[in-house]
Amino acid sequence: MSAGTPPLPEPPKPQAKALNCPKCGAAIALRCFGQAETVVCGSCHSILDAKDPNLAILQQFEAATRDDKPLIPLGTRGKLRGTDYEVIGFQRRHSKVEGISYYWHEYLLFNPYKGFRYLSEYNGHWNDISVCKQLPMAEASSANYLGEIYKHFQTSDANTDFVLGEFPWQVRVGEHAVVTDFIHPPRVLSSEKLDKEVTWSIGEYMYGREIWDAFKLPDRPPEATGVYENQPSSVTTNLTSIWIAFAAFAIFLLAFMAGFDLLSKKDPVLHETYQLNRANAKNEASFVTDVFELTGHTSNVQVKTYAPVSNHWVYFNYALINQDTGQAWDFGREVSYYYGYDSDGSWNEGKQKDTIVIPSVPSGHYYLRIEPEADPSLPGIPYTVDVTRDVPVFEIYGIAFVALLLPVLFISWRAYTFERSRWSESDHAPTPILQTQSSEDDS
Amino acid sequence: MFRKFYLLYGFLTLGTAAFGQYRGWSLDTINQLKNVPKSVRDNPGSYRSVYSGYHHYTGGK
Repeated sequence: MSAGTPPLPEPPKPQAKALNCPKCGAAIALRCFGQAETVVCGSCHSILDAKDPNLAILQQFEAATRDDKPLIPLGTRGKLRGTDYEVIGFQRRHSKVEGISYYWHEYLLFNPYKGFRYLSEYNGHWNDISVCKQLPMAEASSANYLGEIYKHFQTSDANTDFVLGEFPWQVRVGEHAVVTDFIHPPRVLSSEKLDKEVTWSIGEYMYGREIWDAFKLPDRPPEATGVYENQPSSVTTNLTSIWIAFAAFAIFLLAFMAGFDLLSKKDPVLHETYQLNRANAKNEASFVTDVFELTGHTSNVQVKTYAPVSNHWVYFNYALINQDTGQAWDFGREVSYYYGYDSDGSWNEGKQKDTIVIPSVPSGHYYLRIEPEADPSLPGIPYTVDVTRDVPVFEIYGIAFVALLLPVLFISWRAYTFERSRWSESDHAPTPILQTQSSEDDS
Repeated sequence: MFRKFYLLYGFLTLGTAAFGQYRGWSLDTINQLKNVPKSVRDNPGSYRSVYSGYHHYTGGK
């Protein structure tokens, strides 16, 4: 026998109260007992007074042609955010903006211990909504609720045009309310003004699959289309931190650049001046330099050529050859410089010096084979060859910088287009890009 | 998700840049050859560069 406290008895399971519709005689189940103000007959859609023992008919409406099947059937039970709820009411509402009607659905959920909450659905976007526990402080452009600032999104008329099930208020088809939404994704703060009564509610965006999992519904939820007013975007949420990460990487890159510039040996291994003489043009032009040693780890080798050409060119066939292994790096470089004067003024192009960096050259004993060629009109010219071991290559940092920046720009563009889509449905729609451009063209 | 990906990507980019700098990477195009005969040192004319016969720019506007 266990000496522990016996478990508490489970609360009695709620039982639906069975009644009949006074109009069509169909059975009506009352699920939220004394808390329902109205109940709608599922058969003839008469709105009945749930407080009246005889279920007096409050309103009849022709729903047959406007029947709307709830995606979550009435009576479905599920666990939403850890609490069991039953779907007891359903209504379709619409608002008309610039002659276009936008329809959405609201599901009323009930738990005898927790009370009511709502699910709204529009184009596959869902919101879990409950009544605010504190009165928000609202202005025209923003509202403050529990210390969080919500931006005004939209004010519109909401009309109820189809109801089903039970409601804790006197629901009517044709009911007209003014709804104002303030957003702070993924939350939406809404005020609903009906006559002189204002109700504030707070909603949080949910994905269809979460609803389907909660209520164990068959098939798949309808695909969400477009961007909803309080739909969260992981891209937008993380944008600031991604830019901060980019800034940190850029600083690291600068530190690397400074560090490698300091640590690079920049070891001069050859500095020679030669003379190109066309008088010896019939002889073999190519020659080799003295052997020089490249030390240290595998690194680059810079070859600089300087020739004081003026309206001429000189071309050098170079080969950096490893004396021991026979490995060679073969490249050609041109040094040319031209200038003059024409109707546009003075001009010049080319340079008297050239630089090339040979990548990843192992240590060893090397020599350069040089085969110069020159403009036939050039009688002769001196030229200087400088070879330096292990120099910093700043283009690498440029490429790394661009590689770091591109994803950030891409994600910023995604965030911008997402927010633009969101706000295009609001009372504060951004000006269309094409319209902005055409306005600029006109001016 | 993207932030984690970007952090990983950023460190890889920095690592690649640092490794490239250490190993002496360069953007210049160089043609590599193997087994160039040792006789080139004594007879440079026996070697012909792949860049010989390059069409030279003669300049002028």
